[in-house]
Amino acid sequence: MSITINHLTHIYNPGTAFEKKALDDVNLQIETGEFIGLIGHTGSGKSTLIQHLNGLILPTQGEILLDGENIHKDKMRLKEVRRRVGLAFQYPEYQLFEMTVYRDVAFGPTNMKLPADQIHENVISALQTVGLGEEVYEQSPFELSGGQKRRAAIAGVLAMNPEILILDEPTAGLDPKGRDEILDAIQNLHEKRKITVILVSHSMEDVARLAERIIVMHRGKVAMTGTPKEIFPRVEELEQMGLAAPQISYVFHQLQERGYDLPADVFTTEEAKEVLLQFLKQVKK
Amino acid sequence: MIRDITIGQYYPVASPIHRLDARVKLAITFIYIVTLFFVDSFIGYFFVMLSLGAVIASSKVPLRFMLRGIKSIMVIIVFTMIINLFTTKGETLLLEIGFLRITWEGVAVALKMSIRLVFLIVGSSVLTLTTTPIHLTDGIESILKPFSKIGVPSHEIAMMMTIALRFIPTLLDETDKIMKAQQARGADFDTGTLKEKAQSLIPILVPLFISAFRRAEELATAMEARCYHGGENRTRMHVVSIGRRDFVAFAVTAVYVCIIFLLRHAAEIVPFWI
Amino acid sequence: MKMVRAQQLSYEYIKTVEKDGVTTEQKLQALKNVNISVEKGEFVAVLGHNGSGKSTFAKHINALLCPTGGTLWVKEMDTKNEELVWDIRQSAGMVFQNPDNQLVATVVEEDIAFGPENLGIESSEIRKRVDDALEQVRMTEFATFTPSKLSGGQKQRIAIAGVLAMKPDCIVLDEPTAMLDPIGRREVMETVHRLNREEGITIILITHYMDEAVRADRVYVIDDGDVVLNGTPKEVFSNVEALKGYGLDVPQVTEVAYLLRREGIPIPADILTVEEMVGALCQLRSTI
Repeated sequence: MSITINHLTHIYNPGTAFEKKALDDVNLQIETGEFIGLIGHTGSGKSTLIQHLNGLILPTQGEILLDGENIHKDKMRLKEVRRRVGLAFQYPEYQLFEMTVYRDVAFGPTNMKLPADQIHENVISALQTVGLGEEVYEQSPFELSGGQKRRAAIAGVLAMNPEILILDEPTAGLDPKGRDEILDAIQNLHEKRKITVILVSHSMEDVARLAERIIVMHRGKVAMTGTPKEIFPRVEELEQMGLAAPQISYVFHQLQERGYDLPADVFTTEEAKEVLLQFLKQVKK
Repeated sequence: MIRDITIGQYYPVASPIHRLDARVKLAITFIYIVTLFFVDSFIGYFFVMLSLGAVIASSKVPLRFMLRGIKSIMVIIVFTMIINLFTTKGETLLLEIGFLRITWEGVAVALKMSIRLVFLIVGSSVLTLTTTPIHLTDGIESILKPFSKIGVPSHEIAMMMTIALRFIPTLLDETDKIMKAQQARGADFDTGTLKEKAQSLIPILVPLFISAFRRAEELATAMEARCYHGGENRTRMHVVSIGRRDFVAFAVTAVYVCIIFLLRHAAEIVPFWI
Repeated sequence: MKMVRAQQLSYEYIKTVEKDGVTTEQKLQALKNVNISVEKGEFVAVLGHNGSGKSTFAKHINALLCPTGGTLWVKEMDTKNEELVWDIRQSAGMVFQNPDNQLVATVVEEDIAFGPENLGIESSEIRKRVDDALEQVRMTEFATFTPSKLSGGQKQRIAIAGVLAMKPDCIVLDEPTAMLDPIGRREVMETVHRLNREEGITIILITHYMDEAVRADRVYVIDDGDVVLNGTPKEVFSNVEALKGYGLDVPQVTEVAYLLRREGIPIPADILTVEEMVGALCQLRSTI
């Protein structure tokens, strides 16, 4: 399912002393099956943007189209929009409330009034995708570890079988192990179900690892968009927006400044190793 | 709607009212509320309005902030008015629809009751808008202190109030976040029968309570780490002291109370609707 | 005099597990014979994944937990001695992870005054300490703000100021940046480093972010309740494989150096920063 955003503007508390323009004429096109990394510092408008995509916030101006259809055209169909566009908020474990993990994950599909066998199938499949085993299904979600809670909450969104999955800072506050488990689950999901994923993150390393295309938000506008290879070499611009590129990008940036002929678009450790091996071998010959 | 409640919404400007000692303001507000029930004539209410107006003007808080508190109790005001309008027995008949009789006396009582309510709310708003929550709770603690000998936990009450005030905005934000998260999972809070609506609150209330307990536990640990051990041997950064300004305020209040009682007797010799 | 010294420190707790209607009690060891010592004025990072026991260790320094085995001294004061508990908490202040759940008052300066008020300090002295503490964390202009209007990084700086106003010798920070955005993290880390450098305050930073540990004087790695590595950041981070085994990361440049060494390139293993990496690469290129 594709998303088209046309001239989207959002103003909080219009006409009061607290008036704040959170989004300013945003235009975006996201194609089916894309893996998007959405970055920007706090207050850049990225949270406001994602809450528009499933109709939780009404645009002040502009429109959001899902497969060419305005999501606010028919009020009755908003629930359908929320099923198709799954949104997992920051610290999603704070939304857990049921007696068992299984029942909590089933909350979404039950609200969608899906048939019972369909619900069961969705719940099991969602729990498997996030890597939670059968032994936790009947446990209280509050007895799980931090990383497990987070995965259970994300499964609660997945169980609605969304065609687009938006994750707001899914790795915030987790240690490296918990972070890798979540990111692996997301990647696994993207590859298996071919759904569109929008990953909102402060961590450039996470985005660099997974995203096919990066959208950079700054002061309510789309400041940059492109593949990681196009975005990360623009180290100075990112810094000005209060962001940073992965550490490797800086190494290559500085080597270039010293006059070495090296590609600027390297940002993962594996690729850096390959390029640097070449770089050091060149002289040997 | 919960954001409209003026209680605890301090308006930061510098004014003589702001500078008064919190205990003095608490005491004067108490006197004001009590005397309000002794006012029974329109001329009396006119005098209260003038006095209240003078206080509001010198507090430098915009009038609309003072009046915001009324909005949240509008239902109660209207309800009181209607009840009094129809139940007051009187002689001068104004209107009769079926068994409903409206008399001049009824109109007068209904008006007086609602005016009294409005003055009550606006008057206490003056207190909360010109006094920081911290001074207010300090004031309450200080007033209650003599009663701690008979077992009133004055320090604990004040500390509880401070923490409640501190966490109200946090928990409001949290409620908003949880509601949105559950809506994203298809929860519906607007439609359905009363029973369904009540059930739809569970996915909000359970996470909210769990979070509140978690916060309480973490806060308790953090307070302990900062050497909190109750009110014993505790000092305060702000030492409250009653100054000349506060005596002037008491003198003005005394004059006010005298006039209120004079006007009450004035009402005995003039007709009831004045 | 050692600021903090833990000798054979152990902590056991009992967890009740309910399974199939049967409640059983499990004895768990969060810390096993931990030996850590911190000199006055040092900046020490304690690394470990969630559940490794690092937060349990932090709570011992503040006498919030009492050891079940071994001893922990703060400035030679035994934390098991209940009479010393307030002196210990005043000497070793603590900052927690969630910025929202450690501020007590509705006004910033009142919150900073909370600690000294509990210590029974005279009011004019409290005023002075509050103003100094605000200055030290560069938050003077926010003195009369309400905490709910501040960003996460600003709230954490207020929490640090609240500890500073108690005039501690040592500050223990338990994952102070885990809930912050990159700008907030930078603000907090700069503040902590400045306090260490300029005021000579001993810092014990509990974290799982390796980039925060890189700038410490010394690093302890805790895994499964036990110290498994310790030394300077260079000594610790060159153990790339071991760290990964403990569920931790190394900086990207350290990992690249490790990968290159495996290919037979003689690059130093203890590279921690972009500058060191660039320097080492340039040198290799010119010497080969």
